[in-house]
Amino acid sequence: MHAFDYAAASTVRGALDLAGPGSAFLAGGTTLVDLMKLDVLTPDRVIDVNALPLKGIRLHDGALRIGALERMSDVAAHPVVRSVHPVISKALLLSASGQVRNMASIGGNLMQRTRCDYFRDVTSACNKRRPGSGCPALTGVNRNHAVLGTSDSCVATHASDVAVAFVALDAQVVLRSKDGDRVAPLEEFYRLPGSTPDRENVLGPGELIAEVVVPVLPWARHSTYLKIRDRQSYEFALTSVAAAVDVKRGVVQDVRLAAGGVAAKPWRLRAVEEALKGGVAIERTFAEAAESAVDGARPLAHNAFKTALLKRTIVRALLDAAGAR
Amino acid sequence: MIGRPVDRVDGRIKVTGAAPYAADTKIPGVTCGYLVTSTIGRGRLTGMDTAAALASPGVLAVYTPFNPLKLFAYVQEQNDERFPPLQDTEIRFFGQAIGFVVAETWEQARDAAGLVTATYDQQPPVTEFPGRTLQAFEEVEEVVGTQTVGDITFTASYTTPFQHHCAMEPHATVATWNGDHLTVYTVSQGALLVQRRLSETLGVDAAKIHVLSPHVGGGFGGKWGNWAQVPLACAASRALGRPVKAVLTREQVFAMAGHRPRTKQTLAMTCTEDGKLTSIVNDGVTSRGLGGNWSESVANWTLTTYASPNLRVTKTVVPLNLGAATVMRAPGEANGSFALESAMDELAAQLGVDPVELRLRNYATLVPNTGKPWSGKHLDECYRLGAEEFGWSKRPKQVRATADGDWLVGTGMATATYGASRGQASIKVRLHPDGTASVSGTAADLGTGQYTVFAILAADELGIPVTRVRPDLGDSTSPAAANAGGSNSTCTNGPAVQVAAKAVQTELITLATTNPRSPFYGKEVSYRDGSVSSGGLTMSFGTLLTTCDVGGVEAVGTSPRLVDPEHGFRSFGAHFCEVRVHRLTGEPRVTRWLSVCDAGTIVNAKAARSQIQGAVVMGIGQALLEATEVDVSARFTNANLASYLVPVHADIPRIDVRFLDHSDPVISGLGAKGIGELGIVGVAGAIANAVHHATGVRVRDLPITLDKLL
Ligand SMILES: Cc1cc2nc3c(=O)[nH]c(=O)nc-3n(C[C@H](O)[C@H](O)[C@H](O)COP(=O)(O)OP(=O)(O)OC[C@H]3O[C@@H](n4cnc5c(N)ncnc54)[C@H](O)[C@@H]3O)c2cc1C
Ligand code: SF4
Repeated sequence: MHAFDYAAASTVRGALDLAGPGSAFLAGGTTLVDLMKLDVLTPDRVIDVNALPLKGIRLHDGALRIGALERMSDVAAHPVVRSVHPVISKALLLSASGQVRNMASIGGNLMQRTRCDYFRDVTSACNKRRPGSGCPALTGVNRNHAVLGTSDSCVATHASDVAVAFVALDAQVVLRSKDGDRVAPLEEFYRLPGSTPDRENVLGPGELIAEVVVPVLPWARHSTYLKIRDRQSYEFALTSVAAAVDVKRGVVQDVRLAAGGVAAKPWRLRAVEEALKGGVAIERTFAEAAESAVDGARPLAHNAFKTALLKRTIVRALLDAAGAR
Repeated sequence: MIGRPVDRVDGRIKVTGAAPYAADTKIPGVTCGYLVTSTIGRGRLTGMDTAAALASPGVLAVYTPFNPLKLFAYVQEQNDERFPPLQDTEIRFFGQAIGFVVAETWEQARDAAGLVTATYDQQPPVTEFPGRTLQAFEEVEEVVGTQTVGDITFTASYTTPFQHHCAMEPHATVATWNGDHLTVYTVSQGALLVQRRLSETLGVDAAKIHVLSPHVGGGFGGKWGNWAQVPLACAASRALGRPVKAVLTREQVFAMAGHRPRTKQTLAMTCTEDGKLTSIVNDGVTSRGLGGNWSESVANWTLTTYASPNLRVTKTVVPLNLGAATVMRAPGEANGSFALESAMDELAAQLGVDPVELRLRNYATLVPNTGKPWSGKHLDECYRLGAEEFGWSKRPKQVRATADGDWLVGTGMATATYGASRGQASIKVRLHPDGTASVSGTAADLGTGQYTVFAILAADELGIPVTRVRPDLGDSTSPAAANAGGSNSTCTNGPAVQVAAKAVQTELITLATTNPRSPFYGKEVSYRDGSVSSGGLTMSFGTLLTTCDVGGVEAVGTSPRLVDPEHGFRSFGAHFCEVRVHRLTGEPRVTRWLSVCDAGTIVNAKAARSQIQGAVVMGIGQALLEATEVDVSARFTNANLASYLVPVHADIPRIDVRFLDHSDPVISGLGAKGIGELGIVGVAGAIANAVHHATGVRVRDLPITLDKLL
């Protein structure tokens, strides 16, 4: 661990003033401190943002608004979240452990880094950590890696669960800098690795995530998050699917689907959504529609099973979501 | 008292944090050592730059192969590293110790270690298994009979991955010298193992080395050997004249502190039409880390499990550029049983015979490879009781016959057996004027319940409550008792506790009748339930010692090693389980478990049940989750507890454990055999068999992950 300065900010302005090259915001610290201990992140200055007023969970203007500093456990347990968008609560409850969720913030969750074991080991090459050094995962141990949205530079997954639910629900993030606020759809907030896997999102230097805004979707009260993993709990997803489906008289009227564990960023499954609309809500329809989920997939030596698993996870999630009413 | 459920005597101090573990040792002026490790898997160190580290705040010394601490060659085989650290420049594995930084604080040492750079003459490491290798060699372990005869033939290969012990407590050692006397607080499965290793490598008389290892946070074999931090902390402390503490990081534990080797078994079996085995051939292949010497005799479990007139077992060793492979809970048996128990299930299916029935038809009433009688074997009762309690007769014959919603349900069973033996142990029992008794021996409690075994057996023999016995373990100055390994602790140390507790009664009686202050002076006395009596007078030993103004009486009892060429000794058991596999996404989940064990006398029903449950949990990990991956760099890529998956609570169903409790009169008067390792043997086989029953898919490669079931 490298030596660093610590400063605590009490206002957003103060935090933004303290920020500069080589600084990092500290929320729950469950990603930042972890990676600092591994020497993967070596900020010179750590700016504690926990006292900032980026809090609150409320319904406003047809949207659920979640402050970036709300803890994962508080969001998961919030009655409004649970009734309006249960998929968010479910995704959070299937993340990490109770202890981690009590510390970890929603903003930090969206900013968490990949769990690629090469990224986390500083003796290994890694284009994301050390641009241009290479990607040992391409030919190495890659069972947990992505099959969608990858590049020859990086095949890491984005590891967040709740981001998958957010992307399914067309969530937006409010980004705050000295220049003011801007709003970005979360799906576009994340970048694909291309040849610059070190640049994971569009956040500017010294810019904060202030809030997540999730439009209310009345029929999404019946939604689910299905997470498939080897271990029953306390593990990242091999595949996961956030699903909300509106079925009337046995026919799919509308549907939202996004996948995790399989892609370089939270992966919206628009082609599957389109294929489902107007179809009969039965397993065969779901299975047929799920085929297009893996269009363009680039399986690696150890993770080829993820294409089949993703399709099956979609079917199972749809059966769950459709059966929930 | 023996066999009743007794709470752990050390439970309270453990859960309240009061139990002193090695890294908790507080010595004024203690310094901290941090290991620098190699970042290549094979080659030679050509140079190291330590200038920046030496100039870093708080740094006292940086030792490397170019500036080593002298350590003499290792002589004794302890299933650990072949070479003492920092004595040569050869790199045998990734993560090998190449430097030791000592500083005032742990953070300073770690920071400075990060500043040390090394240059190498690099060679491509050998990591392929069984693959093309440099120097694989085969040995014939044992042959019984000659030809393979029979109408029906079955052949298959089974493979298992690298695994790691993952004890909760990482390896820690604190060393301090007083003149030429060394005191070492360390993790260990036996204080004498540390004393011997240090004596040879430091060149110090063992009598001047005091090893203390009172509490150990899990071992599973990984703390049998002495890894690099042990000699380095001691030698650095000697060189610097300051106490030194060294604790391995989790990544270092994975790289250098031992692992379960990879194995492959190719089984060929023949049998008659009615399912009687006529031959079993098991060709075993095991990896060996070039950091060490040890490898698994993975096929040997086949020699002692089922009756067969012809048996042949081989062992091929594949050396790889990895740290030492070492013993891990049931080394050989855990992997060995996965193959044979899977194969028996496959053969049963091929023959159309029930798997329990096939095992009974091949029941070994004599030891299969020696023809000797067993000291005691009630495995048939385990099968029958287990089958009855589990409801085995309701099991559908067909695979994929049962579903519960979207979950396919299957059941499976397997045999467990693990060798038993009784070594020599000496134990001291001392009676104190306050009415308590202390019991000491160099034995270790890794969380196994050995403290409580000592307390129960001494209390039983002395006729006093368990709460009045103070067991004292993990101290090299105590009489030499059994190390914690090979499921040997209770069957070896238990009889010695009994002998010592009897012997101290004789000492007490001598005192009572010969001490002029004693009210029993010159009388005929007897001892019972903690008191001495004569005629109408009864006096507790505490009062007697107080009356005589004597600080205590003690006796050392020795139970000799059992040499019995007539019998075969093993513990036995049968596992029955239910597994569910999701029809779409394939994840296997264990939902029901029953183990029936025949392990001789059970001393503490509660801790014994916990031992079997813990072993089944570890076996579920072995079967479904645990595998350490190695890539071309020879690094274990998932060397952390987030990526190396051990089971969590949600993976574990209720585990029902029954003990038959047939004492084994041949092994000792106590009649206890081992239970520490028995419980994991057969678990992976039972699960593989249940997965097959649920899905029709036979997985012969551990762990059984969902991708193999899609
Ligand atoms: C053992 C373990 C298991 C886990 N399992 C899961 C899992 O199953 N699913 C899952 O989704 N996650 C999982 N996680 C990840 C966890 O959810 C994240 O670590 C956590 O959400 C990060 O939040 P934090 O507040 O602790 O962030 P911090 O560690 O404080 O910060 C993380 C990063 O975000 C930046 N940051 C923080 N807040 C802001 C902000 N408001 N604006 C801009 N940048 C900011 C920081 O500078 C830092 O770079 C796991 C973590 C651990 C340690
Ligand atoms: S997959 Fe990405 S994160 Fe992993 S090693 Fe390659 S570049 Fe680094």
